[in-house]
Amino acid sequence: METTSEKTDRAIVLSPSGRLDFSAAAPFQEAIEKTIAEAAGAKLAVILDCSGLDYLSSAGLRCFLIGARTAQAAGARLIVCSLQKAVSEVFDVSGFSRIMPPVADRAAAVAAL
Amino acid sequence: MSTAAHAPSLVEELVLLVVEDDGGIAFTAGTPGFGMAVIGGCLVELNLIGAIDADLDGIRVLDASPGRGKALDLVLAEVAAGPEARVEQWVVRLFPHAQEIIRAALASLIGRGILAQSERRFLWVLKERSYPMRDDRELKEAKRRIYDTLMTDRIPSPHDSVLLGLALAGGLLEAFLSKAEISRLEDRIREAGGIDLIVRGVEAALRQDQLVRAQAMLYPF
Repeated sequence: METTSEKTDRAIVLSPSGRLDFSAAAPFQEAIEKTIAEAAGAKLAVILDCSGLDYLSSAGLRCFLIGARTAQAAGARLIVCSLQKAVSEVFDVSGFSRIMPPVADRAAAVAAL
Repeated sequence: MSTAAHAPSLVEELVLLVVEDDGGIAFTAGTPGFGMAVIGGCLVELNLIGAIDADLDGIRVLDASPGRGKALDLVLAEVAAGPEARVEQWVVRLFPHAQEIIRAALASLIGRGILAQSERRFLWVLKERSYPMRDDRELKEAKRRIYDTLMTDRIPSPHDSVLLGLALAGGLLEAFLSKAEISRLEDRIREAGGIDLIVRGVEAALRQDQLVRAQAMLYPF
């Protein structure tokens, strides 16, 4: 799995791609937490653009929950967007969508800021 | 300080939830839900330590090596040797081991000085009901963490979300919350509890079990 990051004037966009399973979870979690800390310090939001993420396991889902909790504690806005069908199903079945409803795409994420 | 070396495991916390303040055991401990929640707790623990991972299609074994404690070794060996199956199917298959796992958890809690057994009662040894951890922090007791999760709108930690979800699935909330409280907090319980694919598998297994029992009741012949 790869994760790229880009900064805009209002948000830091983190884009994971590939499979987020147990082996990829620790580095991805570290990337999320580091990004949230940076964004909170700069008063920016964080957008998780998941358009390239095609698989999410139980261990990977935990990263999103930790990210949502970390962002809430830091007072940073976190928006998840562009879920593929397989990942969207994991969000819905697990109930994560209730904690953090995803938006359709990056434009919708920016509009929600 | 106590003799407790470290905080309880998830399975041990589930067992502690059915120990009542007077040392008795809540009636819910006798239900299939409790046993399935305990099996779910084992699977979550195995996921946390990287022995397995789970998705909507099933459980993947990543490392089948033993040495993770009697209960986890038992569950892991069976999953590693078995055919591919969804989480809920594994919960049903592993359910016959629940009693053995619960007894092992109780023995461990007594051995580590968290509980003491007095005839048929299990008494708390730690008066503050917080567990000393290896990094000098303290972990609040499971019931108190569940209360804290329910009384705020904070996003729960994965551990507390799983604990709440398994407690709900296993009917364990009834051991320390009134029906009126559970009803009042229902939306928050649903929102914060069980944000985890394994917990959702436990819920599905329970629904399946209840359906089988209902069918057996209605169609006995």
